[in-house]
Amino acid sequence: MTNALEAVGITKIFGAVRALTEGRLTVGKGEIHALMGANGCGKSTLCKIVAGAVAPTSGTVGMDGHDVRFRNPREAERAGVALFYQELSLIPQLSVADNIFLGRELKSGLFADRKAMNRRAAELIGLFDGVSGQGLTVDAIVGTLPPDQRQIVEILKVFAQDAKIMIMDEATAALDGRQSQRFFEILKAKKAEGVSTIMISHRLDEVFAVCDRITVMRNGATITELDTAATTRKAVVHDMVGEVRAAAPKSAGLSTDRPSLVVKAARNASLRDVSFETYPGEILGLAGLQGQGQSALLKSLFGSEPLTSGDIGFEGKSLAIRKPSDAVMNGFAYVSGDRGRDASFQGRSIFENIVAALAVRNRLRIIRPAALKPQVSKVAADLKTKFAGLDMPIGTLSGGNQQKIFIARWLATAPKLLLLDDPTKGIDLGAKADLFALMRSQADAGATILFYSSEDSEILDYADRVLVFNGGSISAELKGDAMTSVNMTRAAYGDAA
Amino acid sequence: MNNPRILAALGDPLTIAIAASVGLLIVGEILSPGFAQGSQIVRLLTIAAILGIVAAGQNLVILGGREGIDLSVGSMISLGAVLAGNMMDGQNSGILPALLIAGGIPFLIGLVNGIGVTFVRIPPLVMTLGMTAVIQGGLVVYSQGVPSGAAAPLLSAFINQPLILGIPGILFVWVAIALAMVFVLRRTAFGFAVYAIGSNERAATLVGLPVPLIRVLIYGLSGLFAGLAGVCVIGYTGTSFISVGDQYVLPSVIAVVIGGTSLAGGAGGYLGTMAGAVALTILQSVLITLNLEVWARQVIFGVTLLALMLLYGRQKKLRV
Repeated sequence: MTNALEAVGITKIFGAVRALTEGRLTVGKGEIHALMGANGCGKSTLCKIVAGAVAPTSGTVGMDGHDVRFRNPREAERAGVALFYQELSLIPQLSVADNIFLGRELKSGLFADRKAMNRRAAELIGLFDGVSGQGLTVDAIVGTLPPDQRQIVEILKVFAQDAKIMIMDEATAALDGRQSQRFFEILKAKKAEGVSTIMISHRLDEVFAVCDRITVMRNGATITELDTAATTRKAVVHDMVGEVRAAAPKSAGLSTDRPSLVVKAARNASLRDVSFETYPGEILGLAGLQGQGQSALLKSLFGSEPLTSGDIGFEGKSLAIRKPSDAVMNGFAYVSGDRGRDASFQGRSIFENIVAALAVRNRLRIIRPAALKPQVSKVAADLKTKFAGLDMPIGTLSGGNQQKIFIARWLATAPKLLLLDDPTKGIDLGAKADLFALMRSQADAGATILFYSSEDSEILDYADRVLVFNGGSISAELKGDAMTSVNMTRAAYGDAA
Repeated sequence: MNNPRILAALGDPLTIAIAASVGLLIVGEILSPGFAQGSQIVRLLTIAAILGIVAAGQNLVILGGREGIDLSVGSMISLGAVLAGNMMDGQNSGILPALLIAGGIPFLIGLVNGIGVTFVRIPPLVMTLGMTAVIQGGLVVYSQGVPSGAAAPLLSAFINQPLILGIPGILFVWVAIALAMVFVLRRTAFGFAVYAIGSNERAATLVGLPVPLIRVLIYGLSGLFAGLAGVCVIGYTGTSFISVGDQYVLPSVIAVVIGGTSLAGGAGGYLGTMAGAVALTILQSVLITLNLEVWARQVIFGVTLLALMLLYGRQKKLRV
């Protein structure tokens, strides 16, 4: 029997980055196939290649025994590959029916056949009958729907294509338990019709409940292909992790008498009941697959995506943080990995880029460069930043040195709580090492540090303790001997250690 | 000539604007001997000062980014002129109330512009153009279409007569405004915030700057400067009419751009804008000297402005 999909020897090079070195994916007809791996292992790139959104550097993709080469997503669609987009493809101003058939309207003659589309859309909505909640109708305007219903519309959009292969990347992220259950029932029904599904999920239990086979990827290569029935969760986790790594030994001596930061039942659109405590001098790592609430937690503590409910206490006081200035005034600092968007005053001088937070924190009215420059130079020098002069534009620095400047910006305010949101993204190794040394020295000086990294190894090496996030809540707390790459990956997939 | 500092200074918009002013003066002198004599230059600077005061507000709005532009300055000048004329009614005792009212009311209207742009997220172009229509309509009702009021003699003298060393008072006021602008932009938290939100609004929010407040204030200040320019206009001409400010709208934007302020926001300063205002004023004067028909003058002026916009609008590199 020929396979529905057979991708062999797939490589993809983006500039100097080898995103895929040996991608392989074989999906049988009428099979639900899980694609698993840690952050950055290449699973998204592989899916995009199959769906025609990215062209492979080399390798072949076959469907039903024939080689195919898609130049764009449209061609892949026509060949029967449907890709689930995480909310990005919906037009908020249009109705549910219009969104479902956007770009592939049903026609009678030259004109869109609205009746037929509404009928078909109603049928599709009926698939989630009883679990979709009120208000999900063909005429509903998508922008007015809650996140779970929007995600259902995204799913229906895929179903409407009557594809041979569906790629479901985190399709259940916004769904509740009953909705997910229904989604899997539908996938199983489709399977009986011979439709194949490639599923990316952040839940190990979902994978084991629903999928027939599993492809595990690591560092841009397919490591193994397994039958779900013939393997165990532990084996899959080991395949994802590769060489088991334990945390680097940390200095003991951390005082845990009085917590500095206490978060209770924190909730907003991306967080579900997050509660934890941290201590002065501690580097608390936040781990998990991308987008599981780690960044959202840091942003909520800093007031840029405030909590809708829950309590934040710091040094014994309860705080109401509604906007970033509230956080700054309490001695919080936030460093984003997305420097260009979140931190850089492009075209302004290094001095101005550093002094911005200090001016806010100290409520400066008048800014005297001559008086401030010694202090600013010192923080920049402490970070081993290389620059020609404080008056040079920020754009003259390399990415790593720019990031140091944005960290220096906060160090100048002597922060008590450092919120690091994947701060090493896109910076060179030397700059990373300087940054980690700085993190430790700040902690030793009594600061509390929350450190999210999309690279598990950074957390293992530099965090004292780890909270692993899954679906907006904490799935495990790891410390001491339990802080290993295996436990982190298991917890990232929602399996408590 | 290979010294990078000298080369950088040569490419600097401020240098170019000053060079253009001098060049235009020479052209004027050749076309019409006497064009560049002292009293004539003072006269040109007086006209440039009024444009420069309007452009100070425009400068702040453009620096603040997010497509910032204030097209309502024309109607605000008219409003300021009409209000000031009625407050003074030819009496010196009316000067202080005139300044308060003609500055205060445009300031408040400017704040409304700022609120519309910031909180209702109306594009600045649309918001300030809409506000122009509202102010003009209000002015028609207020003045019944008939010009009324007159400048106080003291004000007229302050603007038209030499005060010290043959220089009229308004030029000292302009210098004072310039010093204040440069100080505010370079040495105060407010000025830093203006550059910061113009450069990267999201980053400005993430260091804790009160971004909405700053932006509303910027538009308020633009109204204030336009209103005060209106007082100068009535002092200069003696009377006012309800469209007296219209001719300042485009030049106020151009002066800012010639002066090296990026239309994208976040880079530039007021010294360049001053030079831009002077260069534009001399250009207008040269065109008058050529004895061209009004329509020809307008076409040449317009084309020159667009050409300058093309040249400077493409300049992406921002000054520190």
